[in-house]
Amino acid sequence: MKNLKPGREVVVAGVGLHPFGRFRDKPLANLALDSVIAALKDAAVAWKDIQVAYFGHVYYEGMSFGETSLSKLGLTGIPIINVENACSSGSTAFWQAYWGISSGVFDIALAFGAEKVPGGPVSVTSEDSPDRYIGGDHMMAGYALRSRRYMEETGATPAALAQVTVKARQNASLNPYAHRKDTYTIEEVLNSRMIADPLTLFQCCPTSEGASAAVLCAKEALTSYHIDPKRSVNVVAAALTSGSYNGHGSDHSAFSPYRTEPAALQAYEMSGLGPEDVDLVQVHDAATIGELQQLEALHLIPYGEAWAATIEGRTSLNGDIPTNTDGGLLAMGHPFGATGVRMIHETVTQLRNEAGDRQVPNARVGVAECSGAGDVTTVHILTK
Amino acid sequence: MSSSIDDTRLIICNEEEVQGALVGFKCSDCNVVVFGPATFCQSCTSDNLITITFDSVGSLYSYTEVKVPPHGWPGEVPYILAEVELPEGPHVLAELIDIHHEDIQIGMALKLALIPVEYGTTGSTKIVYKWRPFQTSELN
Repeated sequence: MKNLKPGREVVVAGVGLHPFGRFRDKPLANLALDSVIAALKDAAVAWKDIQVAYFGHVYYEGMSFGETSLSKLGLTGIPIINVENACSSGSTAFWQAYWGISSGVFDIALAFGAEKVPGGPVSVTSEDSPDRYIGGDHMMAGYALRSRRYMEETGATPAALAQVTVKARQNASLNPYAHRKDTYTIEEVLNSRMIADPLTLFQCCPTSEGASAAVLCAKEALTSYHIDPKRSVNVVAAALTSGSYNGHGSDHSAFSPYRTEPAALQAYEMSGLGPEDVDLVQVHDAATIGELQQLEALHLIPYGEAWAATIEGRTSLNGDIPTNTDGGLLAMGHPFGATGVRMIHETVTQLRNEAGDRQVPNARVGVAECSGAGDVTTVHILTK
Repeated sequence: MSSSIDDTRLIICNEEEVQGALVGFKCSDCNVVVFGPATFCQSCTSDNLITITFDSVGSLYSYTEVKVPPHGWPGEVPYILAEVELPEGPHVLAELIDIHHEDIQIGMALKLALIPVEYGTTGSTKIVYKWRPFQTSELN
């Protein structure tokens, strides 16, 4: 694995978010543009100053969708790159923007993501795939297999899984951008419609519509663009990995260190920070089990203990590892391309101490972890 | 006459009696075994691969009863999806049939079942691999 050597220091200068939910009468390009305009305003940067843009999205919306969306802001001729990396598409766009600046090629970049995901179960393969007949191509069934195995090996209870959703909804109830803001009890989560046991509907993230954007800038170029350094947030690690062989092929094990650990370890090494330094974290909770597994693979909680830590309240806003502080995928919803940058938006908002009722006190180090099909994992670490 | 749903994963040796086996590759350089198609070793990237057929009995690694099926699922709902660990190492996902939910136990022995299913809209059938409980009497 290549050792990541950052060049120049990079900061997030501004972030923007279009609310997540259902906006059937609003074209996707308009969702994307709203988030981009919000990020530009937040950074107090003009569109004509942006030197490169990376756009994360998954579902086909027509060719060069990033270009056609941004063209409405004016044709500036900059490189615009469309990024498809499954659920990590947005975070991959952010990763590319980071390295584009860190390497010295660009001073200021835009990373954004947008998606309208239809309702219903999500499959990875195409419709004529044999997997459709074999029955295994079902995202939430995959998470259910992981849940069963995790419960078997750790003694985790269904109530512990449900508590992940209870906590997510509590955080989302304090977030005006969230798709699902209603709060539920453990019993209500467990009694919601069964999708693939033990996962009930409220333990599976809603597929949603939304958009998110971030403006990144070289720290040494901030004054050239008249960007307020006091509101900028440092990006101290940007790691991205794809799958490594796990010995089994299709694998829904209780612990999946091969999936997230390589990116996490790279990010810790790159930043010089360790799990003990982390004040808050956003992880890929497409299903409740995902949050538990990612917290463990990030070494924030020992393997096999995240379910008990959740019951003890350690992952709540007032716990020692506040997790998915904006509601996460479970309550924000999951418009694939927008999710990765949404996590950056929340991390930046918290580190700026601008998160209002869901503010984590004294937050200085935030981690954002996003996973996608192909075992694509991104881990970013931001500091204030 | 039916053919395999995917002959890179399941070979049919006797179509009359529906006999067949799961297939994959073993890497001659690092000995890693993979289920299904491969041109290069998933672990060491070697192309020195040998085709192998797998044991028809494995153990249940995990399972779920799927109440909301994926788009295009042609079978009954709910259905049980099983992840089975083969003695050679790979895990294989497929439907688990001929069992009541309450009788399922992780670690139980399961045997490959080859079942013809209607394929597409043309009325043709293909043979799909599934899992069913393994009876010790089958050893004889």
